[in-house]
Amino acid sequence: MKAPGQEADDMIRNNFIKRSALFTLLLVFLLASLIAGVSIGAVSIPPSEVIRILFSHIPGFDSYLTAGLSPEHETIILTMRSPRVVLVALVGAGLALAGATFQGIFRNPMADPYVIGVSSGAALGAVISILVQSIGHIPFYFATPAFAFVFAVVTILVVYSLARVGGKAPVMTLLLAGIAVSSLLSALVSLCMFFSGNQLHQVVFWLMGGFSGRGWDYIYIFIPYGMVGATVIFIYARELNAMLLGEEPAQHLGVEVERVKRRLLIAAALLTGACVSVSGLIGFVGLVIPHIVRMLFGPDHRTLLPAAALIGAVFLLVADILARVVIAPSELPVGIVTALIGGPFFIYLLRRQKNSMF
Amino acid sequence: MLLNILGVTCGYGASLVLKDASVQINSGDFVGIVGPNGSGKSTLLRTISRILQPFYGKVLLKGEDIYHIPVAEIAKKMAVLTQEPGLDFPFTAKDVVTMGRLPHIKRFARESARDVEAIARAMDLTDTAGLADRQVNELSGGEKQRVLLARALAQEPEILLLDEPTSYLDLNYQIEIMELLARLRREYGLTIVTVLHDLNLASRYCDYLVVVKQGSIHTVGTPRQVITVDTIKEVYGCEVRVEYPDSTGHPYIVFNDEPIGIAEEDGERRVHVVGGGGSGVVLLRNLLSRGWKVSTGVVNVGDSDWQEACRLGISIIEAPPFCSVGVNEIRQNKEMIQRADFIILAGIPFGTGNIKNLECVLEEAEKGSPVIVIDNIDICKRDYTGGKAAELYKCLLRSGVHTVNSEWQAIQLMKGDRENVVQR
Repeated sequence: MKAPGQEADDMIRNNFIKRSALFTLLLVFLLASLIAGVSIGAVSIPPSEVIRILFSHIPGFDSYLTAGLSPEHETIILTMRSPRVVLVALVGAGLALAGATFQGIFRNPMADPYVIGVSSGAALGAVISILVQSIGHIPFYFATPAFAFVFAVVTILVVYSLARVGGKAPVMTLLLAGIAVSSLLSALVSLCMFFSGNQLHQVVFWLMGGFSGRGWDYIYIFIPYGMVGATVIFIYARELNAMLLGEEPAQHLGVEVERVKRRLLIAAALLTGACVSVSGLIGFVGLVIPHIVRMLFGPDHRTLLPAAALIGAVFLLVADILARVVIAPSELPVGIVTALIGGPFFIYLLRRQKNSMF
Repeated sequence: MLLNILGVTCGYGASLVLKDASVQINSGDFVGIVGPNGSGKSTLLRTISRILQPFYGKVLLKGEDIYHIPVAEIAKKMAVLTQEPGLDFPFTAKDVVTMGRLPHIKRFARESARDVEAIARAMDLTDTAGLADRQVNELSGGEKQRVLLARALAQEPEILLLDEPTSYLDLNYQIEIMELLARLRREYGLTIVTVLHDLNLASRYCDYLVVVKQGSIHTVGTPRQVITVDTIKEVYGCEVRVEYPDSTGHPYIVFNDEPIGIAEEDGERRVHVVGGGGSGVVLLRNLLSRGWKVSTGVVNVGDSDWQEACRLGISIIEAPPFCSVGVNEIRQNKEMIQRADFIILAGIPFGTGNIKNLECVLEEAEKGSPVIVIDNIDICKRDYTGGKAAELYKCLLRSGVHTVNSEWQAIQLMKGDRENVVQR
């Protein structure tokens, strides 16, 4: 006969072991797809060489690993594929994380990172910047991501203040305000495209989303905002759980609902803005990955959020690899691939799982 | 004083729901908030639970304005069980109860053994340990309610606020929940404030009742002080009797029964139900409410069909309790049957005592009377006469009666027949 305390300890330990095993597995997947992403491409580089080249840049390994490495491969890996692959993983993780957060806040399975107009805001920002640069013939370095980011964040602030009634922003009002603002911004995007003339191709290409030619500098743009957003979201994981029960029950459990909601919204918008600004509009990841993770691991955000981030990264890495190889040497916009492989897979999961969406 | 509600006025938007309400609640009290629908009971509770901020007045928890206390601190002292369960997500029951520990567990810290014990105790008390691994979105309303109560108890609060905790529950669970609340108060010194619809439950379990009428506090007092004929009339606008049925001294409300409208004798379509043992209860009630002139027999005095028939004011051919149906009753029964437009044989269990009923129906059927047999239970399963009843029953089915599967079908069948009246 075990003492009740002992039993409790066992249970806690078992849960901990299960979670650790799960995340180790996901990390292995992530590592494998990162290496695959670097290895696969127009010039194929064997994974073993990829690993040797990467390790050769860690001090202490250089002496016996560098022998016989191709300098061209080294350049391809370090200046082109590695930054791209890292960025893909970051954006995949960011979109999935933001999606899980929005679905949690709104208690709505249809919510995704773009739900409250973030995408339309970012799109408008990007389109404006492309047009301004072409009209003024003054190329600003990184003007497009910067514009996209600023517009995304401004949009969410506008939506939040529109939805605010007497110090509270009920989720239903937020959703409606988001949809209204989103349609308005989409119309403005279309208007800009209508008048964009020669730049139309560039605009459309940006809107479809992709990672071609992204270097390390894009990662430096992403990191600060992305990290702040992700950190805030992870901090409030258990509040998100409580908020799934409803806003009032959450308050009864000691959650400062309005404050937490505001912070989470801004965090998720920062994260989304960071993703959109470096990669354009990549749909589907933020909507579907959280659902898949929920089906696999349940609704607890303490597991859901990190798992969604990891699986989102893996998913987008695979999609990006496919985007690069299917019509090599040219490249598909990755947003098309995410929808093409994610859609059927999601439908398959939905049909198999007779449960409700959550 | 634990809770002091001071001149609270509040509402939604511009409309005032609660006007200048003041209530004092001491530690260990069991307080019921009662009143008609829309009187502001729930609003009062929402004000106390810091969901609805009052326009004027304030709520003091241990002397401190609840709006000056961090929400997380309040959650350690006060747990709330609201009306809508709203558990739509596949959390396990245990996950939900664990959330009750949220105010106690530090961010990123794991549950301590003490938390696990609190959760286990809460689940034991509410009898939800067996549901621990079930997904809450698949539980019944009553089970959800108990899981939510477990969550509230896992908070280890001093005060438990409840909004109609019994409203989704079957009678046995209503009593169980109220008994549990009484026990929590007794053993853990929990202060309980609950909105209740049922005045008799409130009377039985609460020390004090707060009666709310049209947004104002009408009366506060013990059940004996509050539950009086006059107060009920003033607050609810209806006539009741107040009785003291047992030695506990709790007043009990009895509604003054009004007889159910019985249609006039003539020109009315008659139906005779041969029932017993509760098989006819549903029929009697439904037929009467659809305007049929109903009679029933032969049933024993005290039988559940007999009780229902008495309550409904239906004419009954009755036999003495626990006796066989006699010749005299059968004769009366036949008279009734002959006056009826339809005879319905309910799914009765047959014993030697009432087999004469079956014989009687069979005779009528062979004469060509319109008999409807509700054949919802296999005759062999309700034959306690060693096969004799089954034999008669099979003859009956062959004699040209209408056979239906349910009371509902029987009613439909007769309704269809009402338009083109049967020639007899």
